[in-house]
Amino acid sequence: MSRNPRKLGKIFLVIGIVLVCFCMIAPLYLLVKVSFSTPWEVNTAHPTLLLHQPTLKHWKQVLSSGNLFGPFWKSLVVATCTMVLATVLVAPASYVISRTSRKIRATYILVLFFTKMFPVVGIALPISVVFLKWNLLDTNTGLVLAHLIGQVPFMAWILVSTFGSIPRDLEEAAFIDGCTKMMALRKVVIPLAVQGIAVAGLYVWLNSWNEFTYALYLSLTTKTLPLEVYYYVQRGGTFQMAAYATILAIPVIIITFVMQKYLRSDYLSGAVKG
Amino acid sequence: MIKCLRKYWLEILLIIPMTIYILGFTILPIFQSIVMSFRSEGNMGLTMNNYHMLFNKPQFLESIGNTMFVTVVSLCYQLVLALLIALALKQSFKGRGIVRAIVLMPMGIPTMVSGVMALYVFGTSGYLNEILFRLHLVSTPINWTVGGMRSLFVIVLADTWKVLPTLVLLLLAGLESIPETVYEAAKIDGASSVLTFFHVTLPLLKPSITMSILFRAVDAFRIFELPQILVGSSIPFVATYSYEEYSAGNLAISAASSTVLLVMILLFTWFYMKVIDRGEGFNVT
Repeated sequence: MSRNPRKLGKIFLVIGIVLVCFCMIAPLYLLVKVSFSTPWEVNTAHPTLLLHQPTLKHWKQVLSSGNLFGPFWKSLVVATCTMVLATVLVAPASYVISRTSRKIRATYILVLFFTKMFPVVGIALPISVVFLKWNLLDTNTGLVLAHLIGQVPFMAWILVSTFGSIPRDLEEAAFIDGCTKMMALRKVVIPLAVQGIAVAGLYVWLNSWNEFTYALYLSLTTKTLPLEVYYYVQRGGTFQMAAYATILAIPVIIITFVMQKYLRSDYLSGAVKG
Repeated sequence: MIKCLRKYWLEILLIIPMTIYILGFTILPIFQSIVMSFRSEGNMGLTMNNYHMLFNKPQFLESIGNTMFVTVVSLCYQLVLALLIALALKQSFKGRGIVRAIVLMPMGIPTMVSGVMALYVFGTSGYLNEILFRLHLVSTPINWTVGGMRSLFVIVLADTWKVLPTLVLLLLAGLESIPETVYEAAKIDGASSVLTFFHVTLPLLKPSITMSILFRAVDAFRIFELPQILVGSSIPFVATYSYEEYSAGNLAISAASSTVLLVMILLFTWFYMKVIDRGEGFNVT
């Protein structure tokens, strides 16, 4: 008798887990399925749940239309430049922040948190006005500069806690052994932090690859990949948007699966801890 | 001063580029945006005209209501769901690794893509209607994104799909940091599992929960992409409304509405820290 409730609990647990997994996977399946479906399987009152007649028509259309390469290349260039620039800007600064006094560190982090609170639409507005004056609209440079706005605080968060976890004693030991500040940085600190920097960099790459709001404000004619998807959403191009969305998602899924080993929640919480 | 410079020249050199960038490209635009919201054309002084105009527009008032509703509902819903999943993932069972990988999968999916998926699921001839139809729950298809309460829930669900992994990860880390000995002590004292959950797990999890709520709330208030894709301008949110005004060329109004959004976020954060949390769970180290 006493084992019954426990058994019941276990059954509920299994049902719950299966249900959650289903809800997580089903949309992704639908996306890929739609991109391979014939119109009469999708555009009816009762769409089929399984793929009966796979077709490559939409994929061929998307790949041969010539609208894919431009946005793809722009997204790739912008994301990569954002990642490199963010690392160059943030890594040295977060090292210093992690080594300052508690008070300065707390202030700096609170300022970063505040910048994250301000609505993106509010920052994008003056930025687009200024970029119009500087002729930076529709350029990769402009978009990289804009993407950095969101990514710099984000990366600083991760890296301040990465550098903070490297004990100061190690550097002091290096000083005693006759290292200069530069040498201690190069030989001791950077090798220990390199994994954290790499993970943070990949995150930044992903965020920039996915970014939509700044791209929407700052692009008039040249599109990034998310904007291309949005364009087809507005036009109601059911199949094109499935194919484009799949292309947008593929690199992301690969990187996330590779990174899962390193996905640690303290990267999300950063230097703000309970 | 000179001495300080000589001693810390390297540190200062390292920190200056990022500081300049943040001042120039984030802090300055924020202030420009706020100032812009108090300016009106042909007038050098500061006025409240834009705000008067803004609060006389029914669409804007509606957008405030929608934003608050979606924020509160999605916060509660996501937090409970994420906590349940985190508790389940803490148990050891066969295939836990796979379940973890599946649950964390949407984390990497671009918001844009999750919006597209939601369009397929919640469309009038979409897959949710089809499943409900096959289960004989409905006979005529339901129009999910036409407006009203239903569409707000669609946005909550689409948002949940996207952010659940992050929340699960945060709460799971919190759960795993609770030492096993505490549970053993509770067991020896004869506490039931329900009692243990409410008196041991939840209080010890409070820092993680507080952090999750603050992070999520800020993002939920600013929700932009999903409404933009799913419902367009038919159901306004403060952020999408601000974009509408921007694309119509009313820059000052757009600035005013994003400033209103900032005030909403600051008020919520202040309220949460002072009234609900009272500085218990949130420390800056």
